[in-house]
Amino acid sequence: MILEILSIGLIVSACLALFLDEVIYSVAALAGTFLFTALLYVINGAVFAAIFQFAVGVGTLAILFLSGEMLSDKPVKKTSPQKMGTLLGLGVVLSLPAIFLSVSGAAGTYSDASFGDALWNLSGLDVVLEALVILTVAVGIAIVLYEKRIGGK
Amino acid sequence: MDFVILSLVMLAIGVYGLLTNRQLLKVFISIELIATAATINFVMLASSMGIGLGQAFLILAFSTDTAVSAVILALLVIVSKKYGTSDISKIIKAEEEKTEKEAES
Repeated sequence: MILEILSIGLIVSACLALFLDEVIYSVAALAGTFLFTALLYVINGAVFAAIFQFAVGVGTLAILFLSGEMLSDKPVKKTSPQKMGTLLGLGVVLSLPAIFLSVSGAAGTYSDASFGDALWNLSGLDVVLEALVILTVAVGIAIVLYEKRIGGK
Repeated sequence: MDFVILSLVMLAIGVYGLLTNRQLLKVFISIELIATAATINFVMLASSMGIGLGQAFLILAFSTDTAVSAVILALLVIVSKKYGTSDISKIIKAEEEKTEKEAES
């Protein structure tokens, strides 16, 4: 029962995040999406994934709030109660297939590899990933600095 | 309860938002929803089969997603400051006008 409630909340908050008029409320609804996702992970036993989802979600949302404040150039009209009700109903209807339908076939090969073992086996990928992250951040900073230099001329 | 369908619905919502929204920030939110749908599918399938590898790969996917998000947000701020708006159609229109002026001169 709780899984169904969480999936309904997930879909509803995703719909609200996309279709609300105010950007700040959209970001708040996205926070709800991340929260419901983390709760789904916890219930299914993926605690590490939930913690990571929560941490990354908080960081992303903080930046999104700042960007939303910076990018919202003019006050938009408020979302009407009719539209809010429509969005809520749409979210509930869209979550019904996930509750009542099933596409899962026979289970595949099971493995009892723990999270720690799996992460340790992937330790080579950690280095590659860190390099990728640093490279991406460096490219982002370079773009910002280049734009600043062009703007200063 | 089927998480494959749940993630498919999330993916469909994200793609619909990506195609229909004109605000740059909403486009970014759509991309986040698509990434969330992919990770839900991945983690749920792995955890239901008792495979810890799913969570390990999730960390890799999240790290990449965060780096990509940082760059996208930086570009969003630059573009919206340059054109004075965050509406994609207005940005395209301004760019077309600029190209036309350059072609005339």
